[in-house]
Amino acid sequence: MSAMFEGNALSAMQTSHCHTPLNNYSPQELALEIKAFISGVDQTQGRKLSVRDHARCAVRLLRTVPACRGAVLEHLRGVYDEYVAAFLQDLEAEGENGGNSTSGGGSTSVSNLEDVIKEIHAVLSEFIKLSPKAWAPLVSTWAVDLLGQLSSKHAGRRAAPHSSSLNELLQLWMSCAATRSLMECYSQCLAAMLAWCPDACVDALLDTSVQHSPHFDWVVAHIGSAFPGTIISRVLACGLKDFYAHGYSSAEKINQQQPIDKSSRVPKIGSVVGILGHLASRHSDSIKKELLRMFQDSLSPPPQNVPPHSSGAGGWENSPHLRRATVPFLLQLAALSPTLLGAVSAELVEFLRPPVLIQLQAQFQAFPREELENMLSLAVHLISQSPSGGARVLKFLADTATPSSVIISGPTPSPHDSIREACDRLLQMLLLHLHKLVHNRPEGDEPFPQSSAAQAMLQVIPFLEELQENIGDLCAETLRLERKRHLWLHQLLCLLSVYGGPSVATEALCQLFTQARNPEELALASQLYTPLSTSLSGLLPSTIARCVAQIHTQTLDNKQLAQLLNNLGTAVQSQEEDRKNGGAATGSSAQSSMAAQVRVAISNHLQDFCPLLLHGDTVVSKAAVRLLSCSQLPRACSPAHLLLICRAAVSHFFVCLRQQGESLRVGEEEVGYSMRLLSRLAAYSPLTLKAVLQQLVEGALHRGNRDLFGGLQENPGDDTTQSSNLVPDLGVSLLDINCKFGTSVNFSGNVWSVFHAGVIGKGLKPPYTPSQPDPDRVNQNMQTLFAVMVQCCSSGGGSPSGNARNGSAGGTTNGRFPASEPLISDELPPINAEAAKVIAVTLVENICPDVANGELSWPPEEHAKTTVERDIHIRRCFEGNPVLFHLLRVVAAGRPALCYCSVILRGLLSTLLAHWEASREPSVLDSPWHLQTSCLLVSCMGEGQLLPPVLSNIHEVFPHISPFEVRLLLLGVWEYMRGNSPMPQKFTFCADQGLFFRDFSRDGDVARYIAPIHSVLHKNIDRLGHLCWRFQI
Amino acid sequence: MSFTGFRSYFCDEQRSHCQLWAINVCRLIEANVTSLIINSEEMSDIRHALLRRDPLSAAKEVLYHLDISLGSALQSSTGPTPGLEKSMVELVEEFIFHVPKDRNIQPKRMSCVQELQLLEIMCSYFQEQSKDAIRQIIFSALFSLQGNKADESRMAMLGKLVSMAIAVCRVPILECAAVWLQRTHSAWCVRLAQVLMDDYCTLVPCAISTLQNICSASPRFCCQLITAVTALYDFSSDELTPPPALLEMLVGWITEDPRLLLLTFINTPLNSSLPLGCLEITPLLGLLRWCVKAPLAYQRCRKPALTNGHGESEKGTASEELYSKLHLSVLQVFLMLQVHLTEQNLIGRLAVLPVESVATLVEEVSRLCEKLTPFPAANHIQLALDRLAQALQVAMATGALLCAREDLRALCSRLPHNNLLQLVMSGPVVQPPPHSGPFQPNMYPHIHPGRPSSLSPHSPHPVLSPHPALSPHRPLTAHTAHPSLSPHAFHPAAMAFPYRPIR
Repeated sequence: MSAMFEGNALSAMQTSHCHTPLNNYSPQELALEIKAFISGVDQTQGRKLSVRDHARCAVRLLRTVPACRGAVLEHLRGVYDEYVAAFLQDLEAEGENGGNSTSGGGSTSVSNLEDVIKEIHAVLSEFIKLSPKAWAPLVSTWAVDLLGQLSSKHAGRRAAPHSSSLNELLQLWMSCAATRSLMECYSQCLAAMLAWCPDACVDALLDTSVQHSPHFDWVVAHIGSAFPGTIISRVLACGLKDFYAHGYSSAEKINQQQPIDKSSRVPKIGSVVGILGHLASRHSDSIKKELLRMFQDSLSPPPQNVPPHSSGAGGWENSPHLRRATVPFLLQLAALSPTLLGAVSAELVEFLRPPVLIQLQAQFQAFPREELENMLSLAVHLISQSPSGGARVLKFLADTATPSSVIISGPTPSPHDSIREACDRLLQMLLLHLHKLVHNRPEGDEPFPQSSAAQAMLQVIPFLEELQENIGDLCAETLRLERKRHLWLHQLLCLLSVYGGPSVATEALCQLFTQARNPEELALASQLYTPLSTSLSGLLPSTIARCVAQIHTQTLDNKQLAQLLNNLGTAVQSQEEDRKNGGAATGSSAQSSMAAQVRVAISNHLQDFCPLLLHGDTVVSKAAVRLLSCSQLPRACSPAHLLLICRAAVSHFFVCLRQQGESLRVGEEEVGYSMRLLSRLAAYSPLTLKAVLQQLVEGALHRGNRDLFGGLQENPGDDTTQSSNLVPDLGVSLLDINCKFGTSVNFSGNVWSVFHAGVIGKGLKPPYTPSQPDPDRVNQNMQTLFAVMVQCCSSGGGSPSGNARNGSAGGTTNGRFPASEPLISDELPPINAEAAKVIAVTLVENICPDVANGELSWPPEEHAKTTVERDIHIRRCFEGNPVLFHLLRVVAAGRPALCYCSVILRGLLSTLLAHWEASREPSVLDSPWHLQTSCLLVSCMGEGQLLPPVLSNIHEVFPHISPFEVRLLLLGVWEYMRGNSPMPQKFTFCADQGLFFRDFSRDGDVARYIAPIHSVLHKNIDRLGHLCWRFQI
Repeated sequence: MSFTGFRSYFCDEQRSHCQLWAINVCRLIEANVTSLIINSEEMSDIRHALLRRDPLSAAKEVLYHLDISLGSALQSSTGPTPGLEKSMVELVEEFIFHVPKDRNIQPKRMSCVQELQLLEIMCSYFQEQSKDAIRQIIFSALFSLQGNKADESRMAMLGKLVSMAIAVCRVPILECAAVWLQRTHSAWCVRLAQVLMDDYCTLVPCAISTLQNICSASPRFCCQLITAVTALYDFSSDELTPPPALLEMLVGWITEDPRLLLLTFINTPLNSSLPLGCLEITPLLGLLRWCVKAPLAYQRCRKPALTNGHGESEKGTASEELYSKLHLSVLQVFLMLQVHLTEQNLIGRLAVLPVESVATLVEEVSRLCEKLTPFPAANHIQLALDRLAQALQVAMATGALLCAREDLRALCSRLPHNNLLQLVMSGPVVQPPPHSGPFQPNMYPHIHPGRPSSLSPHSPHPVLSPHPALSPHRPLTAHTAHPSLSPHAFHPAAMAFPYRPIR
């Protein structure tokens, strides 16, 4: 009879319909079978049944006598238990024998029982399959109970891993045929029961789980991963109930007189966390959903007419106490499991809309005070530990805690006042907590090498870690300066900076510098810097370096760039003003300390800023020049950098002038900054002075800049190239020009364009009209240029910018060269001789390309024939560049520099002589340019003390005499010059005036050269009588 | 016999536990066999002794005492049923059904295996108890419901016992159970039926064949079981629709021997007093209810799943056929009933089908029909109404249902139209001269009150028998005192029906 139960024949038979041999037992046989089962003795043969046969007998009864099923299942418990015991014994023996599989009887008993267990399993699963409604509840309860019993009974065995290691447990038990079979049965039941009553099934599971708490977790975990949706919600609900029962709130329970059995049970939350943690690896989404749903359900009003199982979570929603306990429970859960915290933290905030908050608040009002405090600190702890969503949490907290106002009316209605206060408090506690965390961290450089890794783990504050990435947004938020909010955020920034170390602090400051839009906002940067400066050294230099890097990588648009430069400028300037105030404002010492540091830091990067001077966007270039103008040149700066800066500054100056001309209002300030920068540069060192002056002169004489100063343009056809020369960095790319040239052949300047009246297709060539520059503009430009040059030349210091502005403002429009009078006035500081020499030399280099006969001493007048070509060139230069006279005057003012210009003077004079000699006009007024030039030349030479005063006064009579007489007089000048060579060594320094003077008395008799003057005077005494006194020796 | 019978069961392992006590008791019993009436003091002694033992041996001990006390009481007393002492009942409840008597002493429960052992012992005991009376008495002492806390475990134990008796075919127990089913309130009977159905129809897949074999062994039990089962499955929900296997089995039983249905009715002495609220005496009405409601109920089940596969409809047709068979059998049994009633001179006096129950059935049918009307179920409604009409007609014709045609009309007024029913209600064409006509067996004498009752040849009573007290169904009058409690209370013999004055 038993043979037909052997092996797989059984299961094959069971699947077929079973009218066949199974029920062939007569009642008598069955009675015997029952007796055998009860007594354990074979009734026919009278011998004792083996465990295996006994189990088979039980299975037969299960199939035939329904009334026996309770007893049979109970008996089978023993079989399973025996199997597990044998199994574990084998394992232990194996472990002892070191893998030698010499386990004798144990293994046979295991294998013996294994097929019985297979049979049992087959029968049970067949039953469940055939009539799930009847068997599933029965078997599931039995299986779960047995599982619990087995796992807790054998938990102490050596082979069994500790209950905390869920995965090992799972592995062990799933490798055991008995428990695996039970598990499969249970899964089958659950799968069958899910359709109509999952609750009962899971409840049994969880009740067992409570009973055998830590040892049983593997079952729940396994089932949970098979039926995540059901199990997760149930486990949570169960945990909640337990949590409520176990005393999160003692006071409340005492009020309700609830029977508490604290004695026996360990709080189950640990198990819940373990199970969920196990499930989280694969079902984190469902867990997250479930947790959030739980939270929402706990707050939403209790369902009125909903059947209790509709939500599937066991109806905890219906109990107000449980609902109230939900939030603390969730907090506790999150505190225990970082995984769960991570799952929820990011999205929980999304749910905290005002209505939810109001409900939350209503719910919390019922809590006792200390409970609330606990929760608050727990929440703070959680926020600080949450690995993601920190930014959103922060935003939420700040938004909610910000006092509502009429002005800031967002899309969401302002929350309740008490909610706001609570949030405020939470935020403050959070900040305090973070503060503690941040500042209590052991210093990284402390000599504890052995604990470095562990401590590093401890030191990590996930909240701050995450926020580090959002520091830009944080800065932007802070800069909005919204009431309290920016205080919080500022504090947070501070903490972040301390936490993240130099890199974060640098980033924060850099962001602040970039994003601040006005001085108040900028003040935040210094407020941030002040506390940080104590702990972090070298912060500002690295910040500036970072800003510079930002500039280099061109991540900023023009507006931001300008803002950054302006902010830096403001920062530097504030210090300058403080210094000017004589340190009276000690209150702002913090700010000034930062300003000083910024200044130093910036001065190390000036060369990086100077390319920005020529930035195409005026806003940027203006900001750059402002920054440079108020920043200090470093003490030790490489000449290359200096020259770079100088070149940029001078180029920028001319660009400024041009821009100023285009729209007066805009450029004015920029020109001021530019002047200031140039004068600073010039004052820095002789090298820079030389470079600046040289480039200024060259720039002023440059073809492209000529029109700025009233010069004539030589080649009307070269507009485009000129302008591109003129503004080297105006955004016109060389590539573009080349492309243009390559694709459409530019015939301008070509023979074709000369002979024709235009290019075919482009219409008639516009007639060239030499643009007559606006005299006012020219005037102003000229003034500005000279103001700069004078400032540069006069190294005396003072307040150059102010005077320069005064000078240029005072400049009026009388005549063509009105600027000369106010510029070379006694009020101005004396022109530095050295500077003047630089100008002089530069002038010579630029005007006079031919260096033959370039010596200072003058040859006889006849020898001028040899240099006619050069002289004509020089004259043309002067014709084309009115600015030259003014430059000459500057040179003249810086005695004895004019000596070095003697070639120019000579050339000019010789052409004048030639002109006046050839002139057949009745009056000198008929050749105005020459007249003017003669006057200026002579007066200039007088100013430079190349001529004695008597001789230099002759220009006063020029307008009144004939051309020939002018020639005579000029010839006298030449003669004098030939006689008394313009040598610098003839000048002596007069210390009290700070100027060089020439003592003409040492130069022999002047009277010899006066004679032609006197004869001219005599001849025209009627007209020149009033001037005679000017020529007395 | 009883003494030795029980004793043999618990002497094997007894001694190890409480040898001395057992020996003492045995001695005591032996010394005092004939007049052993244990007084309350002795009882409390026994109780204390039992408390110390393990639950199984204690239970056995109690059974032993029960056997002895009842057996001896039966021998000594001449009364029909010896009373059971209260203390004895308490012992039974405490140690067999584990009802806590003392608040502080939690009785040790038996394990399932122990319980099985106990059941096995009981089975064997009842099997071997040769005296029917003692068996009956002990059975009812154990399992008749007392209306206290013990009833639940009593029912559980009874369910298991009967289930096991079915499995191992213990006819005596089944007979006892049949009696129990007859004498117990229908609610409990339904519960027992539920347990048995769970065991044999739903839980163990092929166990129904075991149950099927019982019919030959204990037809009485089967008859009662059918009644209980029809009361259990009333088509009110899916769970309460008879399982196909059960239906098949019942139809098999009935077609094999239709008399099965009348077994209880025939065997019950007319003067036996049945308790209130017990099962109906025949399963006829229950089966009729099944036949009539089945088409409607299956239709209702199918309604939500109209698009289901063919398996459903095949099953439906299979059970349709079974119900048809069943209906036919019921009609046949009515005819057999008529013969029996005629033999017993009970025509028109004993309503086998109470009018009230029929009225309830009609009510249910009309409600079901209303529910179904929006759906295309005309065929099924007509089928149900046809069956109802047939059954009503046959029942009235055979005298199983005592009902006037006017009442019938009033009763069936809410039902949807059905030709056959219409015919039944309007009655056969009235033969012109009623007095001159010969005997016509199909003239339903008692439903034409206007007609002289002398036309009814079946009536053995005097034409103007004035009082029902003269009828042989004397005990039935007792029910008139509780008209609202029992269906049997509404026996037409006790009611003022229009036809009565002319009898």
